[in-house]
Amino acid sequence: MASRRRLRIVAAVAAGVVALMVGAAVFAWSGIYNVAASSGHFAIVEAFLAFVMRNSVETHAMGVVAPPLSDEDLAILGASHFHGGCAPCHGAPGTPIAPVFRRMLPPPSNLPVAVSEWRGRELFWIVRHGVKYTGMPAWLSERRDDEIWAVVAFLLRLPELDAHGYRALALGEIGDPGEESGRELETPPDTAEASSACVRCHGAGERGPRSGLAPVLHGQSFEFLMAALEAYADGRRESGIMQQIAAGISPELGRDLAGYYARLPPPVVDERGADAAAVERGRLLAEEGDAEAEIPACMACHGADALPAFPRLAGQNAAYVRNQLWLWRSGVIPGTDAASIMAPIAGRLTDAQIADAAAYFASLSRAVEAGGP
Amino acid sequence: MNLQSVLAPHGPQAAEIAALAYILFAMAAVVIVVVLAALWLAMRGPPKIRERLGGTGIVYLGGIAFPAIVLTGLLGYGVWLTAATARSPPGDALQVEVIGEQWWWRIAYLAADGSRVPGANEIRIPVGREISFALGSADVIHSFWVPSLGGKVDMIPGRTTHLTLAADRPGIYRGQCAEYCGGPHALMAVQVIAMPEPEFKAWLASEAMPAAEPATEAERLGKRLFLAAGCGGCHSIRGTPAGGTIGPDLTHLGSRRSVGVDTLPLTAGNVARFIVDGQHIKPGNTMPPFRIFSAAELDALSIFLAGLR
Repeated sequence: MASRRRLRIVAAVAAGVVALMVGAAVFAWSGIYNVAASSGHFAIVEAFLAFVMRNSVETHAMGVVAPPLSDEDLAILGASHFHGGCAPCHGAPGTPIAPVFRRMLPPPSNLPVAVSEWRGRELFWIVRHGVKYTGMPAWLSERRDDEIWAVVAFLLRLPELDAHGYRALALGEIGDPGEESGRELETPPDTAEASSACVRCHGAGERGPRSGLAPVLHGQSFEFLMAALEAYADGRRESGIMQQIAAGISPELGRDLAGYYARLPPPVVDERGADAAAVERGRLLAEEGDAEAEIPACMACHGADALPAFPRLAGQNAAYVRNQLWLWRSGVIPGTDAASIMAPIAGRLTDAQIADAAAYFASLSRAVEAGGP
Repeated sequence: MNLQSVLAPHGPQAAEIAALAYILFAMAAVVIVVVLAALWLAMRGPPKIRERLGGTGIVYLGGIAFPAIVLTGLLGYGVWLTAATARSPPGDALQVEVIGEQWWWRIAYLAADGSRVPGANEIRIPVGREISFALGSADVIHSFWVPSLGGKVDMIPGRTTHLTLAADRPGIYRGQCAEYCGGPHALMAVQVIAMPEPEFKAWLASEAMPAAEPATEAERLGKRLFLAAGCGGCHSIRGTPAGGTIGPDLTHLGSRRSVGVDTLPLTAGNVARFIVDGQHIKPGNTMPPFRIFSAAELDALSIFLAGLR
């Protein structure tokens, strides 16, 4: 008797499950469910989704270790990228989320408030991986965590920034970027957006990059700049910042921009704080190399008389040179012909040699060449 | 092939080593005949002899005394012979320094007045004169061995080892790094070219000169490219600003017989191939690929390099 009743219960439960599945399938097939962003979620669904996301991010970000993020170079680079890459959806201090993006479901977070609810490592995880079922994309490159940390360094400062502070960090003295860079570059108005993207990070005219992590493009060869743009555009050179920008630049505009920066004289770099001993060690390495370690003199390829396929390093930002060499050494190597020459050499450099060479090249600013500032 | 064989000696040192080899072969042949005969007798011989072979006396005699005496004698001869090829050569011997590098040979000819003539990957010697080699290594253990001219001597980091060789007639003798040194060790060969004394003297005198100025437009372009592409960071061409010491000296590359350390015959086309695609010709070598040149630039560069006589 008891076993027959148990059998009946099991059969009833099974029938219930099957009925539910069939019901769900019929519901999905019928199209009654409304996927409209305009219809929103029930409050309970929204709360559940938020609960799932928060726990998922917290759990997945547990193993992430944040590097020191107080460096101003990081925050400026992050802010400059944020302005072009994130602000269009998320808005920025002084610029509310654009009305059309408020109609997304979920709408982009109001970051100045939302950011303070997350730890740095969690922000890193969100920026790196994006979030499913939202409009948040993953970072373009899987291997440029250095760039993502720059964005995080900026985000952590975002809650305390007012409109003025934000513009100072993201745009510096550019003011209205569209207007000024359009004038400076003498390009048609439709290119102003692309050129302002360059100016934000790389400077223009007499101004160099505001962040030491962005390279000085002034006075690089036209060929080198074109090759770099092409390598970013087709993904041979990885960067979550530059790949997107380069992909949107037409060949004609690319030539205009490369020509513009190639003609600029190098900006005056203030390296008064530089360690004289490091600069001297860097000079020895740059001019004579380290034959024992099979490192040729940097100047053999990076001096003023070298082929236009190679970058000039005199006056380059120390932080940028260091960061690039670290990347190269860890295997993040642009897939270009010029890079395959540098790749094995970068792998042989020690941390100390990287720091010394970077200090030396940064010290070779125009001011030094002209006999001191 | 007699290019690289212990059994085809072309110098007095190699001849002594070949003689040792033949003595070893002959001794081995005698021993195996005796052993086989003893084996046959032990199975089929008359009972008296079989009894003898089964005793302990034969173990003391044939198993201990005989090998001890013969092997000691051969060892003594081998050691004496090796010492003889490493002995100090006569005062007028040509001094040649060879440094094993991963994976090529850095060479210097030392003149009596102390001046050095740098070279790479190919050794030229005068016929009939003893050559005193000073051998070293820049990185790992290599071993210098030119079988047709003499014995094998290790090149050990931090030490200088010595070897005396002579060739008794002109010719090309091939050598090989004989100690596994990583990566393209198998492609680390060297040609030793023995020439009559007057020809050698003329060659060494021209080798000591800086590179000639390029004569044609292509060569001039090639030289400009060589300097601007950073080749001088690793390679030297004496007489130009290129003074790198990491890779082989290229001052007289065109006078050598091969490119890529005896992997390809020296032609402008093969020089170009090595510049662009050296990793396929000699996988693992430390020169990065230079694919930055246009076809015309690569032509000019390789014509310039192959023309450096």
